[in-house]
Amino acid sequence: MGGFPIISAVVLLPLLGALIIMAVRTATSGSFTKEEAGREGRAALLAGMIISSATFVASVVAFLTFDIGTAGYQLVEQYSWYGAISYKVGVDGLSLPLILLTTFLTPICLLASWNSIHTRVTEYVVAFLVLETFMIGVFAALDIVLFYVFFEAGLIPMFLIIGIWGGKEKIYAAFKFFLYTLLGSLFMLVAVVYMFQAAGSSDIEILETYAFSPQAQTWLWLAFLASFAVKLPMWPVHTWLPDAHVQAPTAGSVILASVLLKMGGYGFLRFSVPMFPDASQLFQPVMFALAVIAIVYTSLVAWRQTDMKKLIAYSSVAHMGFVTLGIFSFNETGVQGAMFQMISHGLISGALFLIVGVVYDRMHTREIAAYGGLVNRMPVYAALFMLFTMANVGLPGTSGFVGEILTMVGGFQASTWAAAGAALGVIFSAIYMLTLYRRVVFGEITNPALNGIRDLNVIELVCIVPLALLTLLFGVAPNLIFNVTEGAANRILSLMVGG
Amino acid sequence: MLPDIFLYFIVLAPGLVALTGLVHKQIGDSAVMFLTTGVVLAAGALSLFQLFAYVSGIGGADVPVDEAGHAVEAAAAHGAHVLTLMSWIDVGAFQANWAIRVDALSMVMMAVITGVSGLVHLYSWGYMSDDPHRARFFAYLSLFTFAMLMLVVADNFIQLFFGWEGVGLASYLLIGFWYTKKAPNDASIKAFVTNRVGDFGLAIGIMAVFFVFGSVEFEPVLSAIRNNTVITPLAFADPAPAQEAVIVFLGQRVYALEVIGILLFIGAMGKSAQFFLHVWLPDAMEGPTPVSALIHAATMVTAGVYLVCLMSPIYEHTLYAAGMVTIIGAVTALYAATVGMAQNDIKRVIAYSTCSQLGYMFFAAGIGAYEAAMFHLFTHAFFKALLFLGAGSVIRGMHHEQDMRKMGGLAKFMPVTYAAMLIGTIAIIGLGVPQTLIGFSGFFSKDAILESAFAAGEHHVMFGQVAFWFGIVAALLTSFYSWRLIYMTFHGPMASGHEDGDAHHDAHDADHAHDAHAHDPHESPATMLVPLALLSLGAMFAGFYFHEWFVGNEETAFWGGTLYSAADNHVLHDRHNVPQWVLWAPLVVTLAGFVIATMTYYFNRGFGKRIADSGGPLYQLFSNKWYFDELYNATLVKGSAMLGNAFSKADKKIIDGLGPDGVTSLTRWGARRLSAMHTGYLYHYAFVIIGAALVFGAVMWLNAGGAN
Repeated sequence: MGGFPIISAVVLLPLLGALIIMAVRTATSGSFTKEEAGREGRAALLAGMIISSATFVASVVAFLTFDIGTAGYQLVEQYSWYGAISYKVGVDGLSLPLILLTTFLTPICLLASWNSIHTRVTEYVVAFLVLETFMIGVFAALDIVLFYVFFEAGLIPMFLIIGIWGGKEKIYAAFKFFLYTLLGSLFMLVAVVYMFQAAGSSDIEILETYAFSPQAQTWLWLAFLASFAVKLPMWPVHTWLPDAHVQAPTAGSVILASVLLKMGGYGFLRFSVPMFPDASQLFQPVMFALAVIAIVYTSLVAWRQTDMKKLIAYSSVAHMGFVTLGIFSFNETGVQGAMFQMISHGLISGALFLIVGVVYDRMHTREIAAYGGLVNRMPVYAALFMLFTMANVGLPGTSGFVGEILTMVGGFQASTWAAAGAALGVIFSAIYMLTLYRRVVFGEITNPALNGIRDLNVIELVCIVPLALLTLLFGVAPNLIFNVTEGAANRILSLMVGG
Repeated sequence: MLPDIFLYFIVLAPGLVALTGLVHKQIGDSAVMFLTTGVVLAAGALSLFQLFAYVSGIGGADVPVDEAGHAVEAAAAHGAHVLTLMSWIDVGAFQANWAIRVDALSMVMMAVITGVSGLVHLYSWGYMSDDPHRARFFAYLSLFTFAMLMLVVADNFIQLFFGWEGVGLASYLLIGFWYTKKAPNDASIKAFVTNRVGDFGLAIGIMAVFFVFGSVEFEPVLSAIRNNTVITPLAFADPAPAQEAVIVFLGQRVYALEVIGILLFIGAMGKSAQFFLHVWLPDAMEGPTPVSALIHAATMVTAGVYLVCLMSPIYEHTLYAAGMVTIIGAVTALYAATVGMAQNDIKRVIAYSTCSQLGYMFFAAGIGAYEAAMFHLFTHAFFKALLFLGAGSVIRGMHHEQDMRKMGGLAKFMPVTYAAMLIGTIAIIGLGVPQTLIGFSGFFSKDAILESAFAAGEHHVMFGQVAFWFGIVAALLTSFYSWRLIYMTFHGPMASGHEDGDAHHDAHDADHAHDAHAHDPHESPATMLVPLALLSLGAMFAGFYFHEWFVGNEETAFWGGTLYSAADNHVLHDRHNVPQWVLWAPLVVTLAGFVIATMTYYFNRGFGKRIADSGGPLYQLFSNKWYFDELYNATLVKGSAMLGNAFSKADKKIIDGLGPDGVTSLTRWGARRLSAMHTGYLYHYAFVIIGAALVFGAVMWLNAGGAN
């Protein structure tokens, strides 16, 4: 150990920034005209972008310090917190890419809010920065209590983002989101307390090697499932997601789809599989069944949606089904495929929500029927939308393909039924995405309100183009990610075998 | 073999120039057109040179041959020259590279792809000259060329899949090129989704390959099958020789190769529009005609045939998978020909003809005559591209009219186009004199297929006899519908009334309107006629020139082991021993088809209309394509929509109803009941307090008593 605490810096920098923004705001508050409020909001957004960009740079520094040849946790920092519980953070090949995804997307989200958030902008920025700290904390925590704290705390800013800056039904959506996830987490809390009692430590590295009895594993596994299944989300506890997405502001949807959902997959790989291997094996058929149902069921539901955001939200559930399939195949292809799929889905679904946000900002409707013929006015938009449509249907050459094919190849080794069922999703995704694209982008303009619609502006391009480039880069050279995840994937699998 | 630098150029340069489409506003449409056309023509010239150089190097070369006349393994497996560009996916045993594999099979495909593509690029200068989006069109064409090349030079299943779906994307974009119109949009989605159904099979097939062989690279997988190496599937199966390996698939114990063969063929059925998955190809004619020539005739739709031939070791050692290839191919050959007879849209006739010819290629591969299948793929590329480009010339000459009933007598307006279409027709019906070397391209390849099928039937290869007879009948129909097309389009009087009330007139015609002779049919410009002339050469002579190498005496040396025949497969050899009548039968039926067409559509031009008006059941069946669209709409499309709606409802009513919403209303209900107890009367509260104290005291007392 020793040296600069880079992981703590990445975790705490956004929180620190949020505190500073609040302090400045308190010092200057009092006499606001509407114009001043607008200026303050811009300043806050700008500050937020600077802080989150600095966080991104810090995470890249962490990545450069990271040794991809080593499988275990690195850049570990540990400070005693309370009794046997300690503040312990560090990264491995599983968590580091997710942290990079988070720090990469947060500045983009704030930039994307530049033209769409006009009320309580300072509070919005603070909520986002606090959320970023909690999200990074979830992935970096190496103490299960610390993990739980970050995991739960993240609910609050997200609840506020949906509940304050959301759409018409924001309160219903926010409470549904909160209750679903909280209920799941309560079971996890009980499990965490039990594990702490049994193993005498809350250190994740110690828990990984502690052998829980098969019976205890079953209960603990189910308790963790309650939480992670809601987060991922898995069928049938997915219904909070479409509502949350539809009501959340664009940037909220991006973060929700790109990062928050990944906590479920991360949790399975960090806790359920290595710590409760017997139970994981026991429930493998159930997980496969739920994964395939998620893929087929939600794909068909996605096809019937009339709201763009809802369609993409359901598509997210289907794509996360591939993550479940890969994780519970318990082989290297499947697990690395799942890790890759999480990153890939983070980029693609985030971009798709930004794409929807672009036209929502102009037309203030998400109804598919209100659009049509956009290609005639917005050719650049049409091209980028096409790219992400193809990425979402898993066209080879985009990152979407790599994750899907590897999770299916991994799943095939464990169950041909599961792989064949999941492969049906390959057909359905083409149906709903191409139908969506055709209705929104192709055809003649029939809605006269669309006649004056402008193509992408610079801010929108700066938000979307990097995601497009990464989607292609990781589609052609996915080894950039596999080199990082390989050690962690094999370590998790060996922990599983070693018990 | 060309120096590596040229191979990189052929494969990668079309992909790079496709990117110029992104900056066409900055560099201008012409720059995009020049770059794409120039690069692809250059690639075409190089690929053709490569093929000619390759065959000229073969004469008398010593290739080790075993007693059965097959190339010995040593020469076979190492015939390929593989350039590895970089590692693509590297996850444990799952290794796939970006690579360029050059062997006889890929050289043939490269020549076909870049050759036809170069000519189609050139042709499009004329055909698309008045389209405001021509830069995008050329970029898509080059993108397609790149994807198709990546498909045929892959050295592993994953890159093959990249090319496979990449050409699907290009096809989707080009079918829907006129994106403001409804029909092209519908057709493009139908094409993509139907292909995805095939890809579903292909993807699972690839998973099965990895599961059984522990690799997705061609070389280890195919040599394990050729050499019958003992392999250990990754899980739940015992080690076994590759050809007899058994796996559990969807709960059944089955031969691994049979499963893989069938799954890969499902992919081929989608891409090559074979029976059951053929429905997208006729609709794909909504795309611009050069696209139909390149993608939906000469190259992309043959990818399935290429895949089956490439996987010849699998089909050589399977019974049912190979039988399935044969019967689906034979049925398609006949089915598509019946439908082709009753179509009036000039492009749809040729589309069904393509479907039918692909059927020939498949049943050739199914019975083990891979060489004949590849040969027909090769010759078909020339004459079918020629027919489509000729049809394009007609359509443009007729101001975007595609209905043959509104045509007639065009021969005198468009003599060059007429000559080209005649050559294409003679080539596709396979006219030639048996037992001599006199004949157009189709004669050499189609007769090789039919003779092989007969020989296979004699040796009791599954469905060999069926394939032969279906092939003979289809040859009769081919001749009929091909001549019907010529007569309806080029002969007789010009149909009146095509000028007015024409549904096909669209925005493009606005440009013609200034033209004084706007509605006279006219011959096409030189950029369109030159490709027609060059393809005509191919349609006439490719068969004669190449037959010795593809299916003749030099066949073994030419293929260099890339096409594999099991020790007991002699169909290509046995075709020389078939009875006389088998040799002459194709000519007889072809002439019969010609005579019938001449009687009905040349001398008696009202005949077709009378048949159509009489509306007999057979005519209805054919002209409605055997009602496949109606069947699929009523079952698959409606069925999934109903499921989707039902699931959407289930989300709201069942899951939310029992879950969050149910809990919410339950809580509300409970809260209401509880708040009803807050009556405000003091004696109510006092009563409850006293009651509670009594219960509490009783419990304490009982507990204390229990302790004693």
